Amino acid sequence: MAYLETRGLGRDFPGVTALDGVDLTIELGRTHILAGENGAGKSTLVKILTGTDRPSRGQVLIDGRDPAEDASLYKNVAYVPQELNLFPQMSVAENLFMPFDRTGHGGLLVNRNALVEEARTYLERFGIEADPRDLVANISVSDQQLLQIARACTNAAMKVLILDEPTSSLTRVEVDRVFKVIRGLLDRDHAIVFISHKMDEVFAIGDDYTVLRNGEKIESGRIADIAEADLIRAMSGRDLSFDEHFRPKGPVTDTIMQVRGLSGARFHDVDFELRRGEILGFAGLVGAGRSEVMQTIFGFLKAKAGSVTVDGKPWTLNDTSASVDGGMLYLSEERKHHGIFPLLSLRENIGISILSLTKGAFGISGGREREAVQKIIDDYGIRTSGMGKRISQLSGGNQQKAIIGRAMATRPRVLIFDEPTKGIDIRTKTEIYRIMKGLAEEGVGVILVSSELDELKKCASRIVTMHHGRITGEFDTTNTSNETLVGAIFGTEAKAHAN
Amino acid sequence: MQTSSTQTRPIQARPWAILSRSPLAGVFVALAVIFTLSALISPYFLTPYNLSVIARGLAFVGLITIAQSMLMVLGELDLSLGVVGGLCGVISGILMVRLGFEPYSAMLLAILLGACLGLINGLLVTVLRLHSLVLTIGTAGIFGGANLVLTRGVAITGIPKDVHYLGRGDLLGVPVPFIIMLVALAVATFVMLKTPFGRYMYAIGNNQAGARMLGIKVDKVRLLVFTAAGAIAALAGVLMVARLGTAQPSIGETWVLAPIAASVIGGVATTGGIGSPIGAIFGAGIIAIIENIIVLFGVSPYWQGIVSGAIVVLAISFDAVSRRYLRRDA
Repeated sequence: MAYLETRGLGRDFPGVTALDGVDLTIELGRTHILAGENGAGKSTLVKILTGTDRPSRGQVLIDGRDPAEDASLYKNVAYVPQELNLFPQMSVAENLFMPFDRTGHGGLLVNRNALVEEARTYLERFGIEADPRDLVANISVSDQQLLQIARACTNAAMKVLILDEPTSSLTRVEVDRVFKVIRGLLDRDHAIVFISHKMDEVFAIGDDYTVLRNGEKIESGRIADIAEADLIRAMSGRDLSFDEHFRPKGPVTDTIMQVRGLSGARFHDVDFELRRGEILGFAGLVGAGRSEVMQTIFGFLKAKAGSVTVDGKPWTLNDTSASVDGGMLYLSEERKHHGIFPLLSLRENIGISILSLTKGAFGISGGREREAVQKIIDDYGIRTSGMGKRISQLSGGNQQKAIIGRAMATRPRVLIFDEPTKGIDIRTKTEIYRIMKGLAEEGVGVILVSSELDELKKCASRIVTMHHGRITGEFDTTNTSNETLVGAIFGTEAKAHAN
Repeated sequence: MQTSSTQTRPIQARPWAILSRSPLAGVFVALAVIFTLSALISPYFLTPYNLSVIARGLAFVGLITIAQSMLMVLGELDLSLGVVGGLCGVISGILMVRLGFEPYSAMLLAILLGACLGLINGLLVTVLRLHSLVLTIGTAGIFGGANLVLTRGVAITGIPKDVHYLGRGDLLGVPVPFIIMLVALAVATFVMLKTPFGRYMYAIGNNQAGARMLGIKVDKVRLLVFTAAGAIAALAGVLMVARLGTAQPSIGETWVLAPIAASVIGGVATTGGIGSPIGAIFGAGIIAIIENIIVLFGVSPYWQGIVSGAIVVLAISFDAVSRRYLRRDA
């Protein structure tokens, strides 16, 4: 039966209608996929369902009653955001039951032992390996992800659990753990709303689906009744050949960058070379050291040993400014922490990278900057109501396009993409793949760090695998099986070279 | 930051929504309202003499406010600025009176010393990765202590008459230190809003790691701003000596909190990355007018702290609430 419903839900913002006439029906005991591209209105819908925003039109019904009249109904809906939102310097148990009064641990004093004991049952049920007394900062990312879900479930009134891309920073094995937990919850007569851009997950876990596009409900139904291609078409509004390849065509010529014996934080003795005309993929588990290697080459992290040459000349390490001047850019997977300037406008966020073009005798020319930024907005299809808008108000996909657009404007020689499609919808993903391919074919050195094997196989000409801070193999994409790659990623095979 | 915006679809739910996009407009309106109210309730307020008293007072706190707002945009706070002003003022006096330096060179040397003190703060913050707020509590103690060691708490009298003009004089009826403050404001505003260096300051205040990821020389920018702030604080100090005609060891004692409050009123966040020195000066203007009107009304000096403090709390509360309301839908 329908537990959570919306009828003709609409939400207007100045100049934009974020939601319009959305009907949604969530049934208990089922997993409901909420599908849509970035900016389709999923976040707005979730905000209304959880009571953090109010609709301009239409109605929400929880258990047949309108929460506008009884706000306590919102307690039945729990939401786990995509970004980790824990207190890193507090223990697992404390995180689990915060705020204490809500979970029955209120009162003047907090009984630590009681917390720890009760936490154990949750940790067991959710398959979390950490100890209740561990600091959250010290536990694995997948445990943190599961802890967020567990925390939502400490709310006894919870009937509907909304999971926003709960797997975006997890590896396949860890995803399986999360899925096991989700299935376990369903046995308990709860409903799950699952937001994901990963088609394999959608089809693995979903029962029902609703597709949103541009704020409107496009269609809904049973997952069993729809094919993957049709679902993608419903989300994007057009055909996308999702098994198209984006490996650069054309000859692979000389070496652009050579890395020798590089060691640094959490990785050792890394050797590889990047050649002109290829996309070089880096595969590995989260924490294998791939990002650390890239950030060290870029100069963001300190190198302990080793050397890098670019176009045959020694490369200055430990200095991001020298790296950028030398034509290298690193696009971090941490968009929020390493990418955007949240309080500044889209214009200023893009403009910061093209100051050499917009600078005149009397300071930065506003006209030239507007023109250059508008061109980037148009070229990269950044959807915004204006360049004066704060970048933090743009959707994740549009922020990512702004970051890529601003990087491209500097005409780099080497561009390192670290998980560039994390939390990005399929259409934007395809656009990013095309950009990388185009760059590689123009002779720019492109490195792609990704946790998704599909993505690497789709884009990379060669794949380097890392495990526990060491390179475990180097493979030619077209004649390597998934099993071989997975083996190298998990470090179960001896160092292999297939060239 | 930029006050114009190029909206492709200028649909506005409310006519005053423009205020939310123009951070300066709100504080300017508040300043205008307070100015008008003051003129209405006190016949003395608009007299040239009273206005020049306000302007002259504002000049000194204003300089510190410019320095502090630059640091705040960067995400830093320097609690030693007032003490730097006081110490450098006293040292300019010692150079002139006790050591017989040519007065203008003495002032220039004192300003250079202020730059050095700012640089020391900056080096400690960047090299040792110290928290600027906590560090400058310490350095403020040191600089203030040096002031007392040098003066033994006694004012240095006999500042040469030629420099008095810089503190006491008027140019076309406008107090000279006020004009100097406006020049400093113009320079700071140009640098912050129109040059790459200024953009780097905002970027660092928004996201330091992100700025480093873009190849911005983060520590260099921070050092330069600390140094400039120290020099500006010293400028305020030496101008105050010129105004008083004596180098008082107590100069700068009241320059610590008001500039921070003024910056916040003017839209500069203590967490960095937003606001401008113009807004901060508007904020300082609001505080200066309030303090003036309290005096005009003959409020007991014992009550002045409570009244002016309460008005500051009211002003920033009003600002925060209205901002939230205006930006909710933006």
